[in-house]
Amino acid sequence: MFAVAAATGLILSLAGSTPAHDDKKDPQPGQKVERTLAVQPQATITLCVASGALTVRGWDKSEVRVRSNDADQIEFRRIDKVKPNEPAPPANRVDVMVLDKTARANPKLDCQAIADVEMEVPAGAVVQVQTRDGDIDIAGVAGAYAGSQNGDITIERATKLVEAGSVGGSIFLKNSSGRVNLTSAGGGVEATNVRAASAEDTFEVGTVSGDIQLDRIANPKVMVKTVNGTLMMSGALVKSGYYAFANMTGDVVLTLPHDASFRLSAKVSDKKDIISEFALTYLGETPTPAAPTTLPPTPKRPEVKEPKPPLKEKEALKEKEKPLVKMTPPAKAPAAKGGPVVAPIIVERSPVIAPYVRRVEAICGSGDAMISVASFGGTVRLKKL
Amino acid sequence: MTRCLDEATLQAYFDGELSGEMMEHATLHLASCSTCAAAAREMEEEINLLMTALAPELEASVPTERLRQRVNAAVLDQRIGAASAPEKAGLGAFISSLLGFGTQRILGYASLVMVLAFAAIFGLVKLKTNPPEVPTVAKAPTIPPPVSTGIESTGVIAQGPSTKADVVHRPVRVVPVKATVKAPVATENAVPTTEPVKLLPGERSYLKTIARLDSTINANKKQMRPSLQVEYERNLAVVDRAIAATRSAAKKNPNDPDTADFMFAAYQSKVDLLNTIADARLGGGRSH
Repeated sequence: MFAVAAATGLILSLAGSTPAHDDKKDPQPGQKVERTLAVQPQATITLCVASGALTVRGWDKSEVRVRSNDADQIEFRRIDKVKPNEPAPPANRVDVMVLDKTARANPKLDCQAIADVEMEVPAGAVVQVQTRDGDIDIAGVAGAYAGSQNGDITIERATKLVEAGSVGGSIFLKNSSGRVNLTSAGGGVEATNVRAASAEDTFEVGTVSGDIQLDRIANPKVMVKTVNGTLMMSGALVKSGYYAFANMTGDVVLTLPHDASFRLSAKVSDKKDIISEFALTYLGETPTPAAPTTLPPTPKRPEVKEPKPPLKEKEALKEKEKPLVKMTPPAKAPAAKGGPVVAPIIVERSPVIAPYVRRVEAICGSGDAMISVASFGGTVRLKKL
Repeated sequence: MTRCLDEATLQAYFDGELSGEMMEHATLHLASCSTCAAAAREMEEEINLLMTALAPELEASVPTERLRQRVNAAVLDQRIGAASAPEKAGLGAFISSLLGFGTQRILGYASLVMVLAFAAIFGLVKLKTNPPEVPTVAKAPTIPPPVSTGIESTGVIAQGPSTKADVVHRPVRVVPVKATVKAPVATENAVPTTEPVKLLPGERSYLKTIARLDSTINANKKQMRPSLQVEYERNLAVVDRAIAATRSAAKKNPNDPDTADFMFAAYQSKVDLLNTIADARLGGGRSH
């Protein structure tokens, strides 16, 4: 008897985890499985399945409740250490183990269940949720880490931090605050009404081929990049905020309030335009440096002058953009002084400089925020709200 | 939700036999339907089991190939046997005809011996007058500026100091050495040489990282789920196109650091994508 007890204790201590004391009800066949566990208000809870939709909601109880119609068994594995011979306080770190028939046969295989799962957690909790195939929906928590290979991820009302990643699915973030990092390879990203919880909270988004659409983002530092997607942002700029947008192909469209104050630093293809509805004071195009910093000197290449468009084409262009006033930068490397221009403007291609990428510096209003745009093959549009 | 995938479609999905549109449809469906996902998983396991069980058989050459080889060998044996049968009969006659010294044959053999003797003497004299050649690298400073070569080879065209006139008329010797000293010689019949791809500064480290990640992913590519593979390949193509475009621009504008920045950004995107796929391939799991 003593030997059995000792062996059990040894196994438990080797496993490095303490089984959580929970309100356990044995499931009947075909019945919903449900488990509840008392946790601390700021507990960290992880949930992981191979396939299935995961729904997480924050509530005002200091408990975790997990339900599933598909699972055979739900277990809590407490990760935080519990002192022996002392009454265990509510858990601070908990792994939710979901087991289906397959996974039950080999419980050592974690994250292998195929089941839709719903979970309620304390509103101050941080959740870490993962599924391979299936959507994730999280709302009303402090922190959310979410990962899915093919499913969409929707997060609402997160208060401190959000990190979400998907390979093929899209990501939607609404009405949240804190540090944000959203990445998707093939899916798009949409974020609405996000603000910082502290001054250091950055907002970062990256995709490969998905479009990015941002609305009312109020973090002081916003960094957005895609390879082949369109970047769209609308809403007010944070005073002294920094906004960086980078893409290879696809347009960059910034829709800002009519009284927006910003400084624009743009790197765009020589073949693409910067179209602005704002009164920009043009600070000029930075000439290509004579001595490159990263590339070794190469033999001089013959300077290729850009052919002027035929007169008819130019007239047609004028007709098309009649309400817009075009501004042609000075032929030589422009001086930094520049001058006020009438809005709206099209910053035309330089007729002399022949680099593939040109850098344009401009200012609108007193230049409170800084907008940096780098688009290899897209048009940059600055629109008024 | 659309209708569930039947077994045949699932099988075709795993075999990669579906059309692009169908593959996309199936992938989307599997992502949203847990029943089909379960069926797919079961089938995937069965396939893996079969592949493991049949691995020794599959790794060996296929039976038809082995059969063909055996048949070929047997046919060849027969042919040799058939051909050697009449030859055996006439072998003695053939040898005796070789050894039979007629007048013409004697003259022929004598001239052959003389030619060989002259060649041997010439070779010895040459060896004494020309000491073993010093490596071409040592001679490099005296070599005139490179002129475009007309000879394509994997070796290096070695030559001493020479005038333009004798460059044209002198026969060129191709020495197959490992050193990549370029001392090309101009010849009249110029053939374009294949130049190795020149890397732009800073590219190498990205390429090394990409190669490492690539090999990690490819090592277990068979285990990658089809839906992930589809997404991976689609996005990889996008990134590769961006790299090609930016690289081409960077090459055309070597004095423009901004263009190079775009190229590096494209490379970084590829590194990020490969990292994402490498992580996803492992199926994730909890991280504490």
